[in-house]
Amino acid sequence: MERSIKGDRQAFEQLLVRYEKPVYNAAYRMLHSRDDARDVTQTVFLKVYENLDHYDPKYRFFSWIYRITLNESINVLKKSSRLESLNTEAESPAKGPEQQATSDELSEGVQTALMAIKSDYRSIVILKHFLGCSYQEIADILEIPEKTVKSRLYTARQLLKEQLDKSGKH
Amino acid sequence: MALDDNIIELINADIDGEITSDDKAELARVLERNAEARVMHEQLSALCESLDSEAQLDPPTHLRHVIMNQVPEKTVEPESESWLHALFVTPAVRYAATFAAGVIMTILIIDSGQIEQTRFDDMTRLVGTVSDTSEYGPAVATMTVNKAQVAGQVALRRADPIMILDFNLATSGPVDIVASYTDRTVWFNGFAQLEATGTSISADDGEIRIQVNGKRRYAVFLHNSDSRNVSIELQFFANGQPIHRETLNYSGGR
Repeated sequence: MERSIKGDRQAFEQLLVRYEKPVYNAAYRMLHSRDDARDVTQTVFLKVYENLDHYDPKYRFFSWIYRITLNESINVLKKSSRLESLNTEAESPAKGPEQQATSDELSEGVQTALMAIKSDYRSIVILKHFLGCSYQEIADILEIPEKTVKSRLYTARQLLKEQLDKSGKH
Repeated sequence: MALDDNIIELINADIDGEITSDDKAELARVLERNAEARVMHEQLSALCESLDSEAQLDPPTHLRHVIMNQVPEKTVEPESESWLHALFVTPAVRYAATFAAGVIMTILIIDSGQIEQTRFDDMTRLVGTVSDTSEYGPAVATMTVNKAQVAGQVALRRADPIMILDFNLATSGPVDIVASYTDRTVWFNGFAQLEATGTSISADDGEIRIQVNGKRRYAVFLHNSDSRNVSIELQFFANGQPIHRETLNYSGGR
């Protein structure tokens, strides 16, 4: 980490190797698009590199990079005006070839349900279930109280369950 | 009847493994006497199990090196002149100086539906290593043009899943180049050029049109995710008249 801060590209590459996959997957889960996930992953790592000298080592690195990932993903959602119109997107059957390939590999029902809930809730589910963060870690990443994390997570699960029940995939 | 918030919290905390032993004991008592709580516990456990077992996607294979090549070098090493000597008649020192200074590169992203899907895909490697494109990928086919209006080489390089058309040309005036391919699973993925002006590009389905004027080194990136065998026909035009035509064949194994 220290070497990365000093501009050591090799050390930075090790960070990239370690976090590329979780960052890409978190972005994909937020955006349901491989292309957007790739762009976000690029942006995240470049921002990390540019801002390494502002990174405070007393905080955990993953908290920082996951926060950037979620924020960048939300920016993409905002830019593409999809932030709160995800219900319709989730119901859209249109899929490109890459999207189709993704459907083969991942549970389409889960991802569709995820896209149908608000990004606040989706973030929490991603942090908990796809990135394996604890309540406290989620609270640190999102900079919200742990109590709020819990209540949002419970609500998110209920909403997800409703979506999956509605689609008959759960 | 709706479950009490405290019970819901206990259920979720238990599923998340964030429950104290006292709370765990309390939850056990609740579950024993409350059927609704038991149903919720089962349903949420199943949901969370299914979320936890979701597969993870692998990032695109080339993403890592795309990122690394966008990360600025701490120090810039001067580039070798030998490559330039071999390729250009123009005094190499001019180009070497350009490279040593960091090489002003412009990446043009051309607006097409496919680029929208894959913008910024693997275009940056060449930016950093334009002095040695062999590092980027081996040339699988090359052609040489030696006409009054245009002279130089075009190499087709492999950097799976990307094919790179590596143009290294000098023209005496505006020359139009049309690169066409019939395989519609291959799509235009980006364009990078040395220097800020002098080359323009447009992409359509199965066809890329480039206008070049002067000495230019540039690369066209084509995505060939299935690694198919592809033939790319290159036609050169000066003043609207065809001056050269040649086909580069890419052997992808399919």
